[in-house]
Amino acid sequence: MNAREAILGRLRGGADPATLDVEATRLLDRPERPVVDVADLVGGFLAQLAQARLGATFERIGAMADLPGAAQRYLAAQGLASALYLPPDPNLAALDWSGLAISHDCAPDQPAALAIARVGVAETGSLVLETAPQAPMLPNFLCLHHIVLLRAEAIVPHLEDAVLSGSQPRAHYWITGVSGTTDIEGQYVRGAHGPRFLHVVLVG
Amino acid sequence: MSFIDRAAAALADPVLKTAVERTAGTAEANRAVAVEAFPDFAAARARAAAIKDHVIANLGEYLERFEANAVAAGARVHWAGTADEACAIVVDICRAAGAKTVARSKSMLGEEIGLPHALAEAGIERIETDLAEHIIQLADEPPSHIVWPAMHKTRDQVSALFRRHHASPHEDESIAAMAESARRHLRERMLGADIGISGANFLVADTGAVCTVTNEGNAELSLVPPRVHIVTAGIEKLVPSMGHAVHMLRMLARSATGAALTQYTTFYSGPKRADDADGPEEMHIVLVDNGRTAMREEGLAEMLRCIRCGACMNHCVVFRQIGGHAYGGTYPGPMGAVLTPALSGLAANRDLPQACTLNGKCQEVCPVAIPLPTLLRGWRERSWREGLEPVTTRWGVRVWACLAKRPRLYRFATSAAILGMRLWGGGGWSRSLPLAGGWTRHRDMPAPEAASFMAQYARGRRR
Ligand code: SF4
Repeated sequence: MNAREAILGRLRGGADPATLDVEATRLLDRPERPVVDVADLVGGFLAQLAQARLGATFERIGAMADLPGAAQRYLAAQGLASALYLPPDPNLAALDWSGLAISHDCAPDQPAALAIARVGVAETGSLVLETAPQAPMLPNFLCLHHIVLLRAEAIVPHLEDAVLSGSQPRAHYWITGVSGTTDIEGQYVRGAHGPRFLHVVLVG
Repeated sequence: MSFIDRAAAALADPVLKTAVERTAGTAEANRAVAVEAFPDFAAARARAAAIKDHVIANLGEYLERFEANAVAAGARVHWAGTADEACAIVVDICRAAGAKTVARSKSMLGEEIGLPHALAEAGIERIETDLAEHIIQLADEPPSHIVWPAMHKTRDQVSALFRRHHASPHEDESIAAMAESARRHLRERMLGADIGISGANFLVADTGAVCTVTNEGNAELSLVPPRVHIVTAGIEKLVPSMGHAVHMLRMLARSATGAALTQYTTFYSGPKRADDADGPEEMHIVLVDNGRTAMREEGLAEMLRCIRCGACMNHCVVFRQIGGHAYGGTYPGPMGAVLTPALSGLAANRDLPQACTLNGKCQEVCPVAIPLPTLLRGWRERSWREGLEPVTTRWGVRVWACLAKRPRLYRFATSAAILGMRLWGGGGWSRSLPLAGGWTRHRDMPAPEAASFMAQYARGRRR
């Protein structure tokens, strides 16, 4: 008998599938969770983002066309060269990036990279990203400064609202603040392996 | 070395005590703030326990659903009954891929099944990517906490290790500079690894996704570039759906660090798709039993709720005194004292369930309400039934039972003992007691009250 059969053999019994689903759904009935003001999702999201624990910054712009300018302003304020990694996303390619040295290959010590979030979560200040042909995952962890574009109307109240139903991307990842560690003497240090700085550009 | 010897050594180490106190104390304070701010944490905790109980009761069905959905997403699912089987599966995958190096992102299950050792035996270089795991890999030590594996190390010790092993170590002695040194040292290595190995915090049955959480981002950096991603996960990690995962994640982060959510929460569904920009070409998931089905059958099903948050050890008066290494197993603290006898046998670990004051703090803070003291008591009873307690204990309890059945004799014996102990201790604390050397070797005994309760009661009634 193989391991699979042996394990499943010892786990027989339990509810029939239909009852199981009813029970599972009931377990999610009115979950306890932080209260979110649905009338002000942007305010709620930004308040979470500004928490010391998350250590993120933001700028709000009126339209996508302002994105290159916002990126340039951020890089200048940080004393960085006007250079940026961009993912191969047609929405980004359509913008005017003149004045910035754009790369489409992310170096292992990439100073700054840009990404587009599908959703923002007001409950936690999380950014939800997912893999796609136009959205590689690695650059978002290699860079030191991570600039993330988020549409204001894409902010949802709770983590449950960020979940995709149906077919899943290869990976989806929720970023809540910058990379950090408390592994040495419990002291908090930013930028353990991933980005040390997170800057959200909110559109709309 | 026995548990008692290890605990004695730990108690004699003042540096260790400071180190444990610092990290566990901070975790305790941060958790308290987070729990206070959460609306009805008690109800959320009951729900989390109910979700896990539901999964454990229907584990077979959920495992099959998970397997079907993970396979549909392109992953390969393997099953392992024992730790050795699990390691053999991982090593075989590494060999088939011609791998020389693996980048590993912290997983307690990997430690439990002895994966570091198995990889070393197979001649495969292992790069630990979590900062704490990197530190203890350099020090060649086991983890001492399930969330902060290097909590026992001081900055000076870490500094010395990094200076010895890093090509371009930190220039100043700040902790930030040391973390930076590890970042430099590990980056190229993990990007160049042949295989990435991770554990799973949750396995989502209805999507077939594997969820990992980290604060450092090391899992993502070490799981995307390699050609193969291997997940080793205990079969109890299942949750029915993403909604359930969300509830458990809220509980996990708050209980572990006091955060609302871990910095990086990632769900992986299968390998790189045809037109994806990056990701591994193969994804393997090894589902490991290693005693879990037996725990479910033998009265330890509640322990399978555990989501490895570390709160029970952070709040444990014994752990705070002796740290994690004294427990001698992969899992320390209260949850370790329940798990280790189940994983490696009661006979060799009967001291662990005894090293508990039954103050109930662990159960109180456990986000899935595991009755840890009750489970520990269960081990104590079983140890007695199986005759594993030392003769002196068995003899002592027999004498006590004999006296307890004879009230007059009992009253006489206790009065005599009280008198004896007061004379011996000179009215203060006794550093040693005849016949109780095992107990007083590590503790002082306070002198008893002037008379037994029964004697005082009788006097009070006469008055
Ligand atoms: S037993 Fe409870 S408190 Fe301890 S690690 Fe497991 S879930 Fe956390």
